[in-house]
Amino acid sequence: MRSLSLSLSGVLIFFLCFMAIPCVTKAEEAKEYIAIRKQAAGRIALVLDKTAARGGKESEWARSLDAIMFGGLDFTGLFNLQSAPLNIRDAKDTGGAMINFPVLTSVGVEIYAGGSVSKKSGLVQLEMSVYDAFGSKLLLKKLYTGKETQLRSIGHAFCADLIELLTGRRSVFGTGIVFVSNRSGFKEIYQCDFDGENITQLTSSRSISLTPSFSPDGQFLAYTDYTSGRPDLYIRRTLDGKTVAVRKSGVSIDPGWRGGTNECATTLSFEGDQEIYLIRSDGMISRRVTFSKGIDVSPSFSPDGSKMAFVSQRNGMPQIFVQDMSSGAVRRLTFSGNYNTQPSWSPKGDKIAYSTWQKNGEINIFTINADGTDLRQLTSGVKDNEAPSWSPDGSMIVFTSNRQGRKKLFVMNADGTNQRRLLQMEGDQQQPSWSLYR
Amino acid sequence: MRNLKPVLKSLFIPALLLFGACTCEKEVVAPPPPPPPPPPVAPLGDVFYEFDRSDLSTAAQDQLKTNATWMSSNAGRNVIVEGHCDERGTNEYNLALGERRAASAKDYMVSLGAEAARLKTVSYGEERPFDPGHDEAAWAQNRRAHFVAE
Repeated sequence: MRSLSLSLSGVLIFFLCFMAIPCVTKAEEAKEYIAIRKQAAGRIALVLDKTAARGGKESEWARSLDAIMFGGLDFTGLFNLQSAPLNIRDAKDTGGAMINFPVLTSVGVEIYAGGSVSKKSGLVQLEMSVYDAFGSKLLLKKLYTGKETQLRSIGHAFCADLIELLTGRRSVFGTGIVFVSNRSGFKEIYQCDFDGENITQLTSSRSISLTPSFSPDGQFLAYTDYTSGRPDLYIRRTLDGKTVAVRKSGVSIDPGWRGGTNECATTLSFEGDQEIYLIRSDGMISRRVTFSKGIDVSPSFSPDGSKMAFVSQRNGMPQIFVQDMSSGAVRRLTFSGNYNTQPSWSPKGDKIAYSTWQKNGEINIFTINADGTDLRQLTSGVKDNEAPSWSPDGSMIVFTSNRQGRKKLFVMNADGTNQRRLLQMEGDQQQPSWSLYR
Repeated sequence: MRNLKPVLKSLFIPALLLFGACTCEKEVVAPPPPPPPPPPVAPLGDVFYEFDRSDLSTAAQDQLKTNATWMSSNAGRNVIVEGHCDERGTNEYNLALGERRAASAKDYMVSLGAEAARLKTVSYGEERPFDPGHDEAAWAQNRRAHFVAE
């Protein structure tokens, strides 16, 4: 827990550092670029040039930064990354600073990114420039400074800026994923960076810990745990690890946080039936939300907290329903399939991802618009794929799959393309929840 | 009379030895009568469920009657009813389903006169399967309410 709060504060301090450094963003050019991109969907053809460096230490940093930035940009699935052509520098320019844009555009490159690294006052200084290759226009020029041990954060800070510049939205860089693994022989809660790096164990209850979920501001972690012999809800403050338990008779299942409030919703059964309740971060019950006979589980809220998607057995088999939080009005969202569970509301608010247990025995992930239109199947033909959770920028989905045998974490683009394994770790991994904290 | 004295003497000494030998043996105490055998009570048994169901079959109801009898015969013991599910479906929903199974078993036993205060329920969903297999035979074993006497 301590390491979590330390890493959180580290990330925060780190990003604050960058904010203080002046940078050049050509706003008009960037807007123009985003507008053009919207018309031509698909991957952005990008050249990430080798980072220039003078000196042995600086050259080592440059190699590490190149690998970090390439890996980071590749992970997002947004780019068609190309290596720089040999004749990228204009031969007439003796300084080698002029970029030969006609050469780039002739091979279809849209964006050029490159820069240099140097040492200043013992710190690493990475200066990066981004050009629109067609118009030879400078889109971004920015200086990134940090300690030698922070190369990963420095490289990712540039990746984050580049994506925000080109897509107009925030990226996955700096976000994390919490999940469950039985690596130790017990199901415990772990977290890792957005790309599966830096795995940290968060619980050591040696019992059964399930369904972790960070609050939208990253201040609280809610999860279910069997330490008392029963599944109880636990809410842990990330700052100091202070934890409250909600000990009610019966079960507590699958908490989900409500945006814009300090409350999460979870299923409790102390009144006899499995119903969803709102719980404050101090562990007190705020109010009961569902009032139907049968199972109501797995709340997931719209980003503004005004609506809640959840699973209900009120019509017999489990289906996804949407409830308006102020009026209490409920409508059924899913009509295709007999077993629809695990809803996850997208950060943009337009879509809900969920899993269907299909007639062929597979569990697969679907998305549907919040109004019930545009049903899309994202996974198929590779055993069970379940527990979808959106990245905070809405560009990707993390999920569990047993396509390679045991249950492991996978990621894909929000349209289902680019499915690949997220991390290498012993045992089973499941119930991922992608969290925003910067 | 004179002739009788050595005869008595020769009889007295062995008799004394015999007496001494007999008193050296531990006192033999008759065993107490065995306690009356307890009335025959079948042990607690588990009950099984259909796929995605928590209602009770006739066989399950018969077993729960036996379990209720066991509770009335073992008045000092509490019982935990664990609800379990097979691995199919999703974990969170199965946690709720496991609780409904445990609750349906408890409610039925309470309706037969078992004390509710002595019956606790806990759902394990699909977290603690009895049979690690991945076929219907294993799944049928794992859809159960398991009874544990405390």
